[in-house]
Amino acid sequence: MTKFNIAASHSNVQELATRLGLSENACARALQLAELAPSRSDWLRYINHFLATIGALLIVSGVAAFFAWNWADLDYRVKFALIQAGILGTALLAWRLGIDSIGGRAALFASAFLVGVLFAVFGQVYQTGADPYGLFVAWSILILPLAIIGRQAALWILLQTLLVLALIMYWTQVIDPPNGWWQLAQLLGPLVWLSSTMMDSTLASLVFALNAVALIAWEYAVNRNIVWVQGRTYPRVIGFAALSNVLIPTVMFIIVASFGEGIKLGFLSPVLYAVASVAALYYYQFRRPDLLMLTMLVFGAILVFTTLFGRHMPEDTAGILMLALMLIGQVAGAAYWLRKVSRRWEAES
Amino acid sequence: MTRERVELRQVVDGLRSEGLLPENSDDTVTAFFENLHETQPWYIRTMVGFGAWLASLLLIGFVGSIGFAADIGFVIVGVLFIGGAIFARLKLGNDFVVQSALASSLAGQALLAYGIVEVTGGNDFESVLGIVIVLNGILFFVFPDRTHRVLSILIAMSSLGFLLYSWELNAVVPILGPVIAAAMVFFYQRQGVIIARGKGHLIGPLVTGLMLTAFGFLLLSTVYILPELRWEFAFYPRPWISSILLGALLLYVDTRVWPQIGDVAGSRERAVFYGLLVAITAAAWAIPGLLLALIVIMLGASSGNRVFTGAGIVFLVVFIATYFYGIQVSMLTKSITLVATGATVLAARWILLKVTAGPVEGGASHA
Repeated sequence: MTKFNIAASHSNVQELATRLGLSENACARALQLAELAPSRSDWLRYINHFLATIGALLIVSGVAAFFAWNWADLDYRVKFALIQAGILGTALLAWRLGIDSIGGRAALFASAFLVGVLFAVFGQVYQTGADPYGLFVAWSILILPLAIIGRQAALWILLQTLLVLALIMYWTQVIDPPNGWWQLAQLLGPLVWLSSTMMDSTLASLVFALNAVALIAWEYAVNRNIVWVQGRTYPRVIGFAALSNVLIPTVMFIIVASFGEGIKLGFLSPVLYAVASVAALYYYQFRRPDLLMLTMLVFGAILVFTTLFGRHMPEDTAGILMLALMLIGQVAGAAYWLRKVSRRWEAES
Repeated sequence: MTRERVELRQVVDGLRSEGLLPENSDDTVTAFFENLHETQPWYIRTMVGFGAWLASLLLIGFVGSIGFAADIGFVIVGVLFIGGAIFARLKLGNDFVVQSALASSLAGQALLAYGIVEVTGGNDFESVLGIVIVLNGILFFVFPDRTHRVLSILIAMSSLGFLLYSWELNAVVPILGPVIAAAMVFFYQRQGVIIARGKGHLIGPLVTGLMLTAFGFLLLSTVYILPELRWEFAFYPRPWISSILLGALLLYVDTRVWPQIGDVAGSRERAVFYGLLVAITAAAWAIPGLLLALIVIMLGASSGNRVFTGAGIVFLVVFIATYFYGIQVSMLTKSITLVATGATVLAARWILLKVTAGPVEGGASHA
């Protein structure tokens, strides 16, 4: 009848019934045939999982609230004991459940995360005076064995994030501390401050290099047919980060290029952006088909061209109209091209 | 054991073999499957949506910057925007047109409402809200788009909420949430009837819109006003009214769901189940959102509607988080309450599974 295999869901069965104008009985029968209504044993399994999860979450939140209530008054030995017990407990749980099970993976990740919490409390208690980048370096070194043993994307993403944070910290605290109003960004919270680091082409390019090396290494491992790296989560997350590291400074460079002195943005970011985009467009189209990666790259190009045009368009109502029409053309063209590529892959497979 | 997912093709084959498909429906079925297959992945649709909204807003900015000599100009342009969006949506169904039509319609509504108020000299916020409610009531039926229909319900109901506060009828708000939830349950259970009457395109957006609106109204019960502000205004007076009404609705939903869970004749199981529901309703005296979340989860789970089940779970987490963040008690009290609630939930799970354990083992037909 049809070549397409699509799993029945509540919404597509309903849509089918609407299109076909089914009677009330036929509609009810379609839902029955789709076997969407749970059986008694399904219900009991849902109730079991749902209540167990909610109950556990509430108790964990309650325990967290308890420590938040009297954390400042707790003896430092108790604080260390609690966190270390957490690290040990989650590591043992991962061992008991098996590091390839969902529970074991979550437990191992929690263990790696708590290592950082331990370092943070250590810094609070002893006031060592060390630069914070040291915390991220030590944290990443200590969880490296866990990442190697765990063989899961989430742990490697955590490790990569720590390395990036260590680099940014080292740059902004030792090599080139921010001055002027960039100092204000540090007071506005970590997210604002981290975003502001993309306003320095040299730093952004270094972060890009770090992410690009990790991405290339991962894709190399994929090509070597190593089983546990075949999932696409890690390359997509790191690919997105690497693209952002050159795309944001490029867009900002176009916007603020003529604002004069004090701007740390330069031609390095646009050059790196162009080279990386062309290379990635080739790789993810012909060597390792990945539509999500291609979409990110095309979307980045639309942002750059639109910003470039917006910066230099005539400053009147006709300029707004031209910008809108250009955007429509780009998006329509991008969607058309992506669909064409997708169909070509389908035909080839 | 998780059951294997049934394919949509098998549903069609089953209906055909039982003679339940209308005659000459092969072409419609083929077109339906091809349309499902052609749907773009979410990330391409997101990119197209972003571009469409931005381009539409730029076009609206272009039209707006031309300027109008009289207020009637806003009305005319508003009607043109809405009419153009409906026409485009009727003729084309690609993602770009869909998103552009949404943006144009919303901008058109704003221009139209503003223009009418200016032309008639009403010149007040309440008149704008009234026009928006009527306009969205009409657009729900006229605008041929699922997302727009959901938005129409959300916009109309939110405007109604603003009107109630504006008229200082905030005492009605605790009743409104449960009434909307009851309407949602009513229509959800009559989806088959409505599809059979040829109005299937309305039912999905209607129940989704009502669900989201009910969530929104119940979240108002968690609004926390800093005592330092000395603002006597009660956003959600007497939340227990909502708890009683939603508790009754939860019991009603569970009477419909019960035959799927337990033996209809098993009075012991049933008594324990309803006892737990009454206990939950009593425990949720000050937190009615908990009951709404359970209603939505129950509705979704009972019909295999993952969107409803997922939405109910997300709302439950958000509601509990905002409630505990906002209540004016010490961290220690919050801690004790959370642990006690968690322990009660685990105890309820234990009781329920213990009571139903015997019949499950015997229920070979479901194994």
